[in-house]
Amino acid sequence: MAKLVVFLTLISLLPLLCNSFSDDKPSDRHILVLLDDFAIKSSHSLFFKSLQSRGFDLDFKLADDPKISLQRYGQYLYDGLILFCPTIERFGGSIDAASILDFVDSGHDLIVAADSNASDLIREIATECGVDFDEDPAALVVDHTGYAIAATEGDHTLIAADGFIKSNVLLGSKKIEAPVLFRGIGHSLNPSNSLVLKVLSASPSAYSANPKSKLTSPPSLTGSSISLVSVVQARNNARILISGSISMFSNRFFRSGVQKAGSPTKHDKSGNEQFLTELSKWVFHERGHLKAVNVRHHKVGEVEEPAIYRINDDLEYSVEIYEWSGTSWKPYVADDVQVQFYMMSPYILKTMSTDGKGHFFTSFKVPDVYGVFQFKVEYQRLGYTSLSLSKQIPVRPFRHNEYERFIPAAYPYYGAAFSMMAGFFVFTAVHLYNKPT
Amino acid sequence: MARNLAAFLVLLLSISIYEAATIYEPISDSHRTVALELFAPVNGSYASLEDTYEALSIYEILAIEKKPDVSTTACKKVLEILGSSSPPKDVFYALKVNGKLKCKVDEKVLKDIASRLKATVSDASTLLDIYHSIGSLVLIKDQTSNVDVLLADGDGAFQSIKALSQSDGRWRYSSDNPESSTYAAGLALEAFAGVISLASSEIDQSKIDTVKNDILKLFDSIEKYDDGTFYFDEKIVGGHEHQGSLSTTASVVRGLTAFSAITSEKLNLPGDKILGLAKFFLGIGIPGDAKDFFNQIESLAFLENNKIATPLILSVPETVFSLTNQDLLKVKVNTVLGSAAPPLTVKLVRGFKIGAEDSSIFESKELQYDSKRGLHVFSFLSKHVDVGSYMFVFEMVLHGTDDDKVYATGGQIHVPIYVTGIIKVGSAEIAVLDSDLGSVETQKTLDLSGNNVVSLSANHLQKLRLSFQLTMPNDRAFKPHQAFLKLRHETKVEHIFVVGNTGQKFEIILDFLGLVEKFFYLSGRYDMELTVGDAVMENSFLRPLGHVELDLPVAPEKGSRPPAPPVDPYSRYGPKEEIIHFFRAPEKRPPQNLSLVFLTLTLLPLIGFLVGLLRLGVNLKNFPSSPVNALYAALFHVGIAAVLLLYVLFWLKLDLFTTLKALGLLGAFLMFVGHRTLSYLASTSAKLKSA
Amino acid sequence: MAKSTSKDAQDLLRALWSAYSATPTNLKIIDLYVIFAVFTALIQVVYMALVGSFPFNSFLSGVLSCVGTAVLAVCLRIQVNKENKEFKDLAPERAFADFVLCNLVLHLVIMNFLG
Repeated sequence: MAKLVVFLTLISLLPLLCNSFSDDKPSDRHILVLLDDFAIKSSHSLFFKSLQSRGFDLDFKLADDPKISLQRYGQYLYDGLILFCPTIERFGGSIDAASILDFVDSGHDLIVAADSNASDLIREIATECGVDFDEDPAALVVDHTGYAIAATEGDHTLIAADGFIKSNVLLGSKKIEAPVLFRGIGHSLNPSNSLVLKVLSASPSAYSANPKSKLTSPPSLTGSSISLVSVVQARNNARILISGSISMFSNRFFRSGVQKAGSPTKHDKSGNEQFLTELSKWVFHERGHLKAVNVRHHKVGEVEEPAIYRINDDLEYSVEIYEWSGTSWKPYVADDVQVQFYMMSPYILKTMSTDGKGHFFTSFKVPDVYGVFQFKVEYQRLGYTSLSLSKQIPVRPFRHNEYERFIPAAYPYYGAAFSMMAGFFVFTAVHLYNKPT
Repeated sequence: MARNLAAFLVLLLSISIYEAATIYEPISDSHRTVALELFAPVNGSYASLEDTYEALSIYEILAIEKKPDVSTTACKKVLEILGSSSPPKDVFYALKVNGKLKCKVDEKVLKDIASRLKATVSDASTLLDIYHSIGSLVLIKDQTSNVDVLLADGDGAFQSIKALSQSDGRWRYSSDNPESSTYAAGLALEAFAGVISLASSEIDQSKIDTVKNDILKLFDSIEKYDDGTFYFDEKIVGGHEHQGSLSTTASVVRGLTAFSAITSEKLNLPGDKILGLAKFFLGIGIPGDAKDFFNQIESLAFLENNKIATPLILSVPETVFSLTNQDLLKVKVNTVLGSAAPPLTVKLVRGFKIGAEDSSIFESKELQYDSKRGLHVFSFLSKHVDVGSYMFVFEMVLHGTDDDKVYATGGQIHVPIYVTGIIKVGSAEIAVLDSDLGSVETQKTLDLSGNNVVSLSANHLQKLRLSFQLTMPNDRAFKPHQAFLKLRHETKVEHIFVVGNTGQKFEIILDFLGLVEKFFYLSGRYDMELTVGDAVMENSFLRPLGHVELDLPVAPEKGSRPPAPPVDPYSRYGPKEEIIHFFRAPEKRPPQNLSLVFLTLTLLPLIGFLVGLLRLGVNLKNFPSSPVNALYAALFHVGIAAVLLLYVLFWLKLDLFTTLKALGLLGAFLMFVGHRTLSYLASTSAKLKSA
Repeated sequence: MAKSTSKDAQDLLRALWSAYSATPTNLKIIDLYVIFAVFTALIQVVYMALVGSFPFNSFLSGVLSCVGTAVLAVCLRIQVNKENKEFKDLAPERAFADFVLCNLVLHLVIMNFLG
């Protein structure tokens, strides 16, 4: 409960504007990698090589190295942080849990990997980010029907997981055929937290317990509600990846084949490399980072943007949305971007059409209610940064001379008035010059 | 006699030490595959001669056949370096590459280098210079016999190396650098070995003994993991290019094996430390970095052939056995690089079930040796063996051989074994009981291997009982690690219960009266699911049993609320429904025709008026006759008509101000002519009256 | 008795008609003018009852035009009638001039309000 309160407080303090990236180049370049032991640099070298080949500059340091720090004189030295130090009790230098959370709060990305002997410090960092690891320090995720068949692993703690989230932006457009090997601890997500997503969930028969001791009470984490790998997209668009297994990133698991229990297919290569490479692309903003520019609106047939609209006007609204591809801004293609014409509540909500080059447009008729409206684009899709645009525009009613001039229903009255005038004219003449005989 | 002695020595030297149960595998083909990847040349050559040497060594040690051919470019570089006066480090690596590739280097060049290096040795002030120079001289000695490389002042060289030693067995890099390093100790030992082999006159035995003491002191600071792995680590972080534990240990192994090869007596080091170092290198698995890979493989190659003790690795390729398949237990014994071991027998000292350490299932069994496959096998699965996790303790017994090589076997090796089997699930039934009376209201049998589901109903005064039996293939009771009954409500709220057992019978009774609050007073349909699983149960299952309609009392005001359902990410992030604005319908207008009809109707009275006037017999006889007055009268009426027309124009398009202006003008005109006309008419009628 | 009442009604009407015939022609002209105005107003009211009062301003201006005309004509009749002792001293031309002025103002207002 206290953790929830702390977490909610922290999330509510996240600044709304993303001020860590320059709008031109949101990808991270310098990443600090904190390790328990330099052996991890060698045993997880395939993962690091995949990052370095995409242009990232990795700085490897021991987690208790007294010279490490994230910022100097108020400037952050790194754009991203990878914590591959599950057993660290206390960081060296000027880094601690609070400084890491400040780092994330300022819009930078984070990858955290825990393991079965995860320290309280790593668990605390994970809790602040919104995921709760199993509190039992000796617990591992065990699955007796979804384990990976291996000649030397008999206790079913090595799991072949294939409960992927359905999202092309998070996991890439190519389907991951082979299951992912996982050995570590599981975590659960707070159901009311809407920023955290389960990327890899355990199968329904999985549970989190100490495999060596008997179970007397039901475990707190069971079934598909156990999340093995989760991501958080904060409101300032910082992205966090939390995994319960550091060996999932290792060369051994990347290269190993996998066969899930109960399935006859034996895959030559596990899905770990594809899964983690694609997910790391998402975490470091090479996918799913949108920007919306060039909001324009005008009356149909005109080009200039008016300062005020009249009710029942036909107008056109257009916006350009781009997605960062890691190296450049590419046009964003989707068919579900919607614009609202909003005053206290949306009067009109319309899906915009696109020309495939990032240009989204639609046209509609202004409602016959006058007031101060807003063009609102609230775009939130799974795995994409959220777009929140709003432009105010007033709407006025008809001027007195914009109504129809001659109302057909009033013709008799017009006729009556003119006939009276004619009658009057005749009468004046007759009245003056009539001579009774 | 000698044979017995040798056998006795061998037995004595297979030390029994309690080993923790971690399995180490010797180098295998997967290493070779990765080696080809890591040491692939870029555009036909490597970045430096050091990298070239490392790649060539790897190919040689691992006996990789399909190695890339880099001899042309490498030899060119070698000749270049050896031709010019390069620093000792470059010469060192160039000669190493030459040793592998046998480039045709001119003997004169080698002679020049040798004399230069000898001068460097006597003048050198840093450990690295001495190391590289001595090493180069040793390499020259191996590559050609015509060059004189013997050191005139062997003692002097020995002394200059010894001068940098520290009391704890470590070495400094130079006399002005106070930091001591274990890595440097390895370099120093290798340099010592070189000096001893190059010295023209025999080095004093006492000096060699001091070095042996240094080695023993160095081994005092060795680090250890719990499973018997030994390694060296640097204490200083940063400084002279921080060397991790792998490169430090590799350096020490290099120096140690070189030194022990050159001395005549054996070093007094315990074999378990050598085995521990071997296990450290094997425990790394397959490194991802070329330098780490080279350090690992080269050190293992040195350890395999060292003079102190040869480590032997016992590995069990499969530790999971299935009773249904009746597999054989296979054990492999190899050297660290995967080559064959000397003749020996593997003994299963004891095998016991985890949790029952006192009673051994197997004791003192010898494994059969299958010479075709090079494996030691044991058939231990039978109908009577329980399903479960076991610990097998192995020991290697060497057959005596003629050579007095010492082997380090590591004593007793503990290997966890899993025996899995199909667990029989039977007598499954589910029943709804009436509270305290225990009388059964509904009872249904379940077939847990099939797919049928049951549908039950109960209220809060009743109980639900689920029972089943689990037996192993040998008809003994089995307790799985996981036996859960899960009840899930329609609103996705879940409750889990552990099914307990007495012997074979598993039973759980859910008393709904006590569970009403736990269930948040939610009545309705609950889906039931039974999950039974264990590491050794081949048929672990998750089975939906059906559903039960629960009728619980209404929740009180202050009752606990059920937890909120999780946010479904797919619906939360989806597009919203479109909203269209419905414009206010314009008011119903009368049909146009009706308006036109009434327009004509309205104009009818005007016609009627005109007709009536004619009927009355009106005339315009009173119109003034004299032209002036007639003109004024006419103008008067014209003026009225003009004003009326102005009004019509005003209605049509003018605005009020223009109209009022025009009206003002017309009105003034009208007043004038009207006054004239009316006064004339008044005077005429007065005349008429008076007349 | 019905026969006698109808006969009485007929006699009454005949008497009214013969009395009315005695009025001077110019007054008859004014009467005709008033009747014309009233009829126009009635037709407009019937129309409004049929279709509703949209547009109300046009309806008002139409009806008011008729009613105003009728009222002004009645005023003129009163002032011009020689048998009316009250306006003995007022010259009929003066009354007519007022009548014309008021009508012109009335028609301006009507035109403005007609819409």
